Amino acid sequence: MKRYIAYSAILGVVWCFVHGTVSINNFVLGVIIAPFIIRPFKSLFRFDTEFSFGNAIKKIPAQVKYMYVLFKEIIKANIVVAKIVLQPKINIKPGIVAIPIRTKTDLGITAIANTITLTPGTLTIDISEDRSVLYVHAIDATDPEGLARSIRDDLEKYVLEAFE
Amino acid sequence: MVLEILSNVVLVIGLFFVFLAMLGLARLPDVYNRLHTTTKIGTLGAFGVMFSILLKVGFSPIGVKALTVAIFILVTAPVAAHMIGRAAHRHGVGLCKESVIDEYGRACSAACPEKEDE
Repeated sequence: MKRYIAYSAILGVVWCFVHGTVSINNFVLGVIIAPFIIRPFKSLFRFDTEFSFGNAIKKIPAQVKYMYVLFKEIIKANIVVAKIVLQPKINIKPGIVAIPIRTKTDLGITAIANTITLTPGTLTIDISEDRSVLYVHAIDATDPEGLARSIRDDLEKYVLEAFE
Repeated sequence: MVLEILSNVVLVIGLFFVFLAMLGLARLPDVYNRLHTTTKIGTLGAFGVMFSILLKVGFSPIGVKALTVAIFILVTAPVAAHMIGRAAHRHGVGLCKESVIDEYGRACSAACPEKEDE
């Protein structure tokens, strides 16, 4: 029940944004429609795990910090790739590297995979069967250990704080 | 007035990044490197254009919708890139000759060695 309320509130806000007018009327309409959307897709919302409002609210500062780090990395990524594209002669050493990850939940893995794709010179291709290794295509794969270390220290730390 | 100028500046930056994404798509050697440009640069380019609309019209219905579109592009572009990259690799699209390492290909052929014979 708590879960229905929390997700309904989120979907209510999303409905306001999609409609274009952020108002109480639209929000209430979104909240009323939301349970009918959540019910058929119940398996996606992890109803089997424990949920509390306290934990969800406690994570918000970590999530804001994660968004800040993500935006900083996106800007950096764009400058790095733009430089490569604008070089007169393209001189790159790409390759696919296996990166071990510590995140366990579906949400955490999705977040780290998307973050890797949006950050400098790396692109997630696939995850291994036992969900412990991500296969990452790097535009500069000359130093696989350094790449794994930079992902673990710079990105995964924030994802663990925000989503685990 | 300030917002108007800022909006135009952001629009030009966004369009420049879209141009770079297309340039990268034409110049880089293989499908994986091309995905780098289209996801990263293309995302920021589209984000810039949408953000400039938001700055121009403010929080009117069009501006709010532009913001929503920008956020959805940011969330969905990496997922599309995973799917294209994985489909390409499973379909046997090789890496370009400059590539130095392919641990995914090694793991794939270790998991199902009979595929090598096909």
